[in-house]
Amino acid sequence: MLHRRVYQFFIIYFLGLGLLLALKYGLSLSDYVIPSPAEIWRTGRSYAGHYLLAVLNTLAVAILGHILSICLATAVAIIGRLTAWIGSFIRTAAFNIQAYPIVAVAPIIFILLGDGLASRLLIAAMICYFPLLLSFIGVFSEPVREIEHFYESTGRMTWRLQVKIRAFENIQKLTTVIVGSATMAMVGTIVAEFIAATAGIGYSIRIALYQSDLGKILVALFLIGVGTSLYLVSLEWIGNALQARLKSI
Amino acid sequence: MQLEGRRIFFRYPNASAEVFSDLYFRIPGPGFHALFGPSGVGKTTLAKMLTGAIKGFDGEIAANGVRRVLYTYNLERLPGWSNVRAHFEEIAPSAGRRSMDELIETFGIEASLTSRFHRLSLGQQNRANLIRYLLQDFDLLIMDESLANVDELTREKIILKVKAMFPERCFLYISHNVAEVAKFCSQVLVLRSQSRTPQLASVQGYDHKEGAASDPGRLERAMLEIVHAA
Repeated sequence: MLHRRVYQFFIIYFLGLGLLLALKYGLSLSDYVIPSPAEIWRTGRSYAGHYLLAVLNTLAVAILGHILSICLATAVAIIGRLTAWIGSFIRTAAFNIQAYPIVAVAPIIFILLGDGLASRLLIAAMICYFPLLLSFIGVFSEPVREIEHFYESTGRMTWRLQVKIRAFENIQKLTTVIVGSATMAMVGTIVAEFIAATAGIGYSIRIALYQSDLGKILVALFLIGVGTSLYLVSLEWIGNALQARLKSI
Repeated sequence: MQLEGRRIFFRYPNASAEVFSDLYFRIPGPGFHALFGPSGVGKTTLAKMLTGAIKGFDGEIAANGVRRVLYTYNLERLPGWSNVRAHFEEIAPSAGRRSMDELIETFGIEASLTSRFHRLSLGQQNRANLIRYLLQDFDLLIMDESLANVDELTREKIILKVKAMFPERCFLYISHNVAEVAKFCSQVLVLRSQSRTPQLASVQGYDHKEGAASDPGRLERAMLEIVHAA
């Protein structure tokens, strides 16, 4: 799983890099616009350590934001399943709020919370929260009649049991959504850092952009890709282990 | 214990045709009774009316001494997070525990107890599902195709055991098997299409019990009556 994710990323990354270099040599662009492979290599060696720490910083915030949004989406979806009206209201509200581009909302968050950890965390959580919420509401609002019937007719049904049944029956769907939203948490954190924060790889990319240093940006993108792949692989591994444990005897 | 439905009229919302039109039925008391009829005549609808899951119909269902009605059907599943025995132990009331081992043995699922539900065959699944209902406190248990996919000999063994173990309770067995309902059921409620009057005919079944001598002539007459009524 790990090697598949990583080599898939390498293929995409080096295809993109190859395209850039083809443009550079095809259009005779200067090293100032697109640096040469040797220059990219030198930049990589000089900045890899510093950028690696920045990626780890971003990844930590993304993971925290992701966990926060999973907890929040679970809580809201559990409340949303109580009545059809609340579920429908939450779903409509989620659709409307997520229609706003996060880049448009982010300045308000930075004005209110400043450019520290809180803003990065909130934006990371927000960007992956709504897709999670919509899926979670779908899962927790949909009765599993062929299992729930017995508990309802014998008066044993509790809200905890209902949530347990629905989560268990849809564990694969929930795992897929959580893994899918992890990428969005990383994207959200980088966007937040790029807009106004003072730490993380998004902030480093902003500095590199001000310096018009494409070499640094390419090194940052490489490390972001590796970091994200490792996080996704970890989540997939946890999801698979959980499913295997639940299904084993 | 008696259950009687009078002047029942029912139509599903937005449906053009009525399911029941002036339906009358009577379940005289405890015993193993049947609800028989072709697909689509409203057997499951009537069962859901008896449990109270369907309301908003015209007419009256009078339940004398029927305090608790349970309905089970053949597509039900046990939750997948525990094995069959753990589930039984979790849901069996203390009063029903004594019956549990006896039912497990008669139903022939001892070997499946340590397995999870999805690993069982369809017949084993239906038997496990029925056992957990029999462990509950009920006055009327409606069994909607509950023994589907179970072989004939085991079905016979199960029905006879249920009749012997719970003589004071009422069962309503929904099945399409005319020979089975004729042989084992006391009262057979034959539900017919809405165009026929009356919509429900009541036929006396053979009501075979464990250890009783068989009377092929009487059984044949019961079968013929059911077929004619249908």
